[in-house]
Amino acid sequence: MTIPADIENTPPRRQAWWRALMRDPSAAVSMIVLALFVLGAMLAPLIAPHDPFEGTRSVMQPPVWAERGDWTYILGTDGQGRDILSRLLYGTRLTLLIGLLSVGIGGFIGSLLGLLSAFYPRLSPFVMRFADVMLSFPAILLGLALVAIFGPGALPVIIALSIATVPDSARIARSIALSVMQQEYIEAGRAIGLSDTAVFTRYLVRNSISAIMIFMSLRFGQIILIGAALSFLGLGACPPAAELGMMASQGRDFILFAPHIAFIPSLTIFIIVLAANITGDALRDVLDPRMRS
Amino acid sequence: MKHPSKSPGRLLLAGLVAALPFGGMAAAQEITIVREVDSNNYDPQKSVARAAAEGLFMMGDTLVSLEPDMQTVSDGLAHKWDVSEDGRTYTFHLKDGVTFCDGKEMTAEDVVYSIKRWVDPETKSPVAWRAGDVKDVVALDDKTVEYQLEEPFSELLYQLTQSFGTIVDKDNVEALGEDFGISGFNGTGPYCWESWTPRDKLVMTRHEGYDWGPSFYDNDGAPHMAKITWQVVPEENTRTVALLTGQSQVTQYIPAIAIDQMDQAPSVEVQRSDEAFWTYFMGFKINKESVSDPVARAAMNLAVNQEALAEDLMFGKVEPAYSYVSQGALDWNEDLDDDLLRYDPERAKKMLDEAGWKVGEDGVREKDGIKLQPTAYVFAGSTWQKVSEFVQAELLKVGIDLEIQAFDATVAWGKLATQEFDVFGMSFPYVSSGDALNLYFRSENMPTPNRMNWDDEETDMLLDKGKTALDDETRADAYGEVLKKVHEAAVWLPLYHEPMFITHTAEMEPVVPHNNYGAGLYKGLDLKFKE
Repeated sequence: MTIPADIENTPPRRQAWWRALMRDPSAAVSMIVLALFVLGAMLAPLIAPHDPFEGTRSVMQPPVWAERGDWTYILGTDGQGRDILSRLLYGTRLTLLIGLLSVGIGGFIGSLLGLLSAFYPRLSPFVMRFADVMLSFPAILLGLALVAIFGPGALPVIIALSIATVPDSARIARSIALSVMQQEYIEAGRAIGLSDTAVFTRYLVRNSISAIMIFMSLRFGQIILIGAALSFLGLGACPPAAELGMMASQGRDFILFAPHIAFIPSLTIFIIVLAANITGDALRDVLDPRMRS
Repeated sequence: MKHPSKSPGRLLLAGLVAALPFGGMAAAQEITIVREVDSNNYDPQKSVARAAAEGLFMMGDTLVSLEPDMQTVSDGLAHKWDVSEDGRTYTFHLKDGVTFCDGKEMTAEDVVYSIKRWVDPETKSPVAWRAGDVKDVVALDDKTVEYQLEEPFSELLYQLTQSFGTIVDKDNVEALGEDFGISGFNGTGPYCWESWTPRDKLVMTRHEGYDWGPSFYDNDGAPHMAKITWQVVPEENTRTVALLTGQSQVTQYIPAIAIDQMDQAPSVEVQRSDEAFWTYFMGFKINKESVSDPVARAAMNLAVNQEALAEDLMFGKVEPAYSYVSQGALDWNEDLDDDLLRYDPERAKKMLDEAGWKVGEDGVREKDGIKLQPTAYVFAGSTWQKVSEFVQAELLKVGIDLEIQAFDATVAWGKLATQEFDVFGMSFPYVSSGDALNLYFRSENMPTPNRMNWDDEETDMLLDKGKTALDDETRADAYGEVLKKVHEAAVWLPLYHEPMFITHTAEMEPVVPHNNYGAGLYKGLDLKFKE
């Protein structure tokens, strides 16, 4: 291993990757967009101009930029006369929540399994065969099956998507952990008599975590898409809740006459997923040592 | 109510109309009818689907038929009929020269076989009761049939106009066995079975030589169309576009949102009939805690603004309903007109307060530990999705939290036969008040179609009285009494009456909408291209 000669002049590591990230314009824009959506979702109850669940008698109002649009309903109203902007804020909230929880829960369980199976090689065949079996189930199918058992709702969708995230993250975590396990410091740790727990948490987990997080951020976009797809099929969130996929589905009936009802939530899903993917990509470029040129 | 005047979608539609002149089908005398769903089979005595009736009215005939006004019974396979004074014997005189599609002559024996098959417990017909308490059906000669009842049945002639009473061919039924109405069907109707691909299309061809159609049709010969294809197109926008582009020539399944635009499009015409007798409602399972209080049920009726529903969600293309059957239906009790529960949310709140249903911390009313939080089962699909969400939002305003569970039609019927839910969403066709009441409010019809568990001896007694009445007045009184009872108990939440809209391309002669069992084209004898 070569040690940089001039340690004094190297900026702290965190600062370095942050700068590298911000130098990439598409990543910067994506992160800002993502941050805006997250902020909007978090503050939904404060900034939503109308009640997102209460219908009014002005149905199918066009958005403000269209002819006959007005500023009362900036993005127009849906088929029940509900304000689309307010529903969008609440819908983004639920969509992001479903995505975050699923990736969080599934990713945590999966990574733990992957790390353990790298640390205790005897576990490996069981975990990996289990992952293979799970991988042969498409997430949508799993979602359909769970919804058939528990009935539609956000919770079954989160469970299904969490389960669907487990095998992928287990495999990724294991492959990352395997390369970490071959590092000399692991052997060194063992040599100085550290317990298994200490080696696992202090050496293995800490050195694998950033690579695992990158995978999670890439996975986030996919999960949001599948969650929205399930809601679109009427299997996710239950009315009157607002969810982007469900809003797109409800707008389908109006597509010939008031296309904005379906178009706006669909576009929102598109932007969120795109921003999440670009951000994840950029994070990987910056953080993954193997990608550094 | 505001509607967008010019949206990109409208332009899209206009573009479609301009770009695609309607197809060159006119010369071929062939049309495609698009519809939303298919039937599970086309066995007249076994399927209760509207989609089955649509096919069977065209491929088969019934003893008597119903005029578009939904009141007048007209000729069918019988050119005349006599009813005995005690109302227990009906004698039908059959038309001459009637043949099945395979060329065999139709005789009184076929009628006897068909009716007996309808009421035979082995057939397991879900609608056997519609044939009345049949004592026997006898062929007096080749062209005369005597229909004997155990007791009078005032509805009999109306029931015999339904597709369940379609006359079938015994040899055909026996030859096809389990596949009857699936792989083939030999009827006497104006069109003949050609092929059926389930959930895709049903194809039928002209019955050459057909000249025994009901006399209210202008066309007294064979149909003008050589071939009709019933194409299933589940997505409503696709159906709309199919009409505009000439891929389909006629349909009754255009969404309310598109009716006005269709009416304005030069290439299509819209025909409307208000005698459709097709009502949408939500029913309460009255022995369930959250909906067992009649006051709470009445309050739910008051809380929902049917007018807004009809105007905004259905674009003014349906009639708001406050009664359980259309107020124009035979035997409607006019005394009830002034007492129907109309939109009054303030009164609803007051009634609930007075009855002890207090608003809890979460905004949901409760009393004695029971929350006003009923679960509703509805059909998945755009109509019930819209309607149930609307009702949900309206009820929430008075502190009632309706939970909606939607099921695909393939499982919904099974789910709706259980005791799991508190509220259900349903729509149904009827020919008269008695038809609707006998179907939904007889105690023997629990758990389905009497999903409300309305178990009342007096109702049963009155329904029997109406059913066996020998004169119109007795019947109307008995049914009127039942109507009063169930409206007072607020066992349903009526939503809207759906008129019949038939949309067809301008290349076709105007089609008169029929309404029998919701099959708008009925026998299809007036389907004709302009000359």
